[in-house]
Amino acid sequence: MARIPRIGIGGPVGSGKSMLIERFVPVLARDGYRVCIISNDVISKEDADRMRQNLATDRGLLPENMVIGLATGGCPHTAIREDPSMNMAVIEEIERDHPGLDLIIIESGGDNITTTFSPALADYFIYVVDVAGGDKYPRKRGLGIENCDLLVINKTDLAPLVDADLDVMKRDAAEVREGRPFLLTNCKTGEGIGEACGHIVRDVLFDAPPKGAGETA
Amino acid sequence: MDTDGLPEMAMMQLSDSAFPAGLFAASNGLEGMFMEKKITTAAELAEFGRACLVQQLGPGDCVILANVIDYSKSRNYAGIAEADAVCTAIRTVKESRDASRMSGVQLARCVGGFCDDEVLGWYLGQIEGGAVSGTYPVSLGICSNALGIEKDRAVIMLLYGFVAGTVGAALRLGIIQHMEGQRIIHDLKPVMGRVAQESAGRGIDEVWQFLPQVEIGQMRHEKLDSRMFIT
Ligand SMILES: Nc1nc2c(ncn2[C@@H]2O[C@H](COP(=O)(O)OP(=O)(O)O)[C@@H](O)[C@H]2O)c(=O)[nH]1
Ligand SMILES: [Mg+2]
Repeated sequence: MARIPRIGIGGPVGSGKSMLIERFVPVLARDGYRVCIISNDVISKEDADRMRQNLATDRGLLPENMVIGLATGGCPHTAIREDPSMNMAVIEEIERDHPGLDLIIIESGGDNITTTFSPALADYFIYVVDVAGGDKYPRKRGLGIENCDLLVINKTDLAPLVDADLDVMKRDAAEVREGRPFLLTNCKTGEGIGEACGHIVRDVLFDAPPKGAGETA
Repeated sequence: MDTDGLPEMAMMQLSDSAFPAGLFAASNGLEGMFMEKKITTAAELAEFGRACLVQQLGPGDCVILANVIDYSKSRNYAGIAEADAVCTAIRTVKESRDASRMSGVQLARCVGGFCDDEVLGWYLGQIEGGAVSGTYPVSLGICSNALGIEKDRAVIMLLYGFVAGTVGAALRLGIIQHMEGQRIIHDLKPVMGRVAQESAGRGIDEVWQFLPQVEIGQMRHEKLDSRMFIT
């Protein structure tokens, strides 16, 4: 069974993890990549349902059964870090039944800033904070913010509304990240999304062409 | 100490709530009953635990587990495959079949990662090939045998894991607080002991379980829009 590359997307509740996935998938699908999404809902299927409706039902970018919701017993951190076995179980079944997939995106159920993805679960870890949480966030550090493979600072459009200084956030992020990548996004306009997808294609897929390249859809 | 303690430690390892088999994400039917307001107090929770032990786990999973340990010792592969099929068949609710399979497979893979055992190796191969589904009680039997855990101990471990896991779920659902949880575990110990004794010596063809109210709750649970637990 071939391992399908996996990205873990973590970050506080409401920082925009689901919205970013909804932005990433069309860009990746346009380039021919086939993606599956596992959403670790803390409590409801709402996020998975919204992504399925938008990406699968309305836009046909992926089959409906490629958006999977997973309950975490109220322990979203456990489900992606110390006991990722339920996610692994779902992934193993996907790898067996859908070997043609290029990428699996795992959304965590919402984290505190110390949370990280188990390296056994995700090959690449994107941590999402949002501007509305305050411009203090990057400098507060925490394992997620410091150690992730890509730090995303989302909702830049809200900066003026919450008195957040984006320059301060950029400066602090650069310091905390010590050369590792971070970027600013705005899911309302799509700003920064192309760059984020560039990281995914380069750093996760290693510029591999889509597995289905050449096939007719 | 007159033994090296290894089987006892293996028992603690497999029944530790931190063991990565995903059991933290299961409420074993409790969330469904809670949402239908059928279980809202510590007393009702204790009664739920007792009913599950007596009417589900004792005559069902415990018998399967004990037989799988015998089969593992005698390399009775056909017996193990049959036990796996029976274990799947007695789970009438899809979410509980799925959860048992997911946890069982992950348990087998995890133990297979640090313990070299012929039967476990065979079982993992069968899972890979889709010949068995990899249910939790069967997997626990094979792993227990591989780690030298005796049959009667393994049965206690299964029952205790169920009670501790269900109490943990009840805490997170806000049905009880932590002190009440430990009291319930303590109060159910004699029930677990009795159920374990009663299950001893039964064959696979004597397996049964009957707890329709909980199963109907689970059938509703698997369709809920909002829920915390896989089962
Ligand atoms: N203004 C603004 N709102 C956003 C942005 N990204 C996400 N949101 C909104 O933030 C809310 C939470 O987003 P969601 O993706 O569900 O967060 P999650 O909990 O991290 O998955 C939703 O109402 C989104 O519409 C953004 O860049 N700008
Ligand atoms: Mg979300």
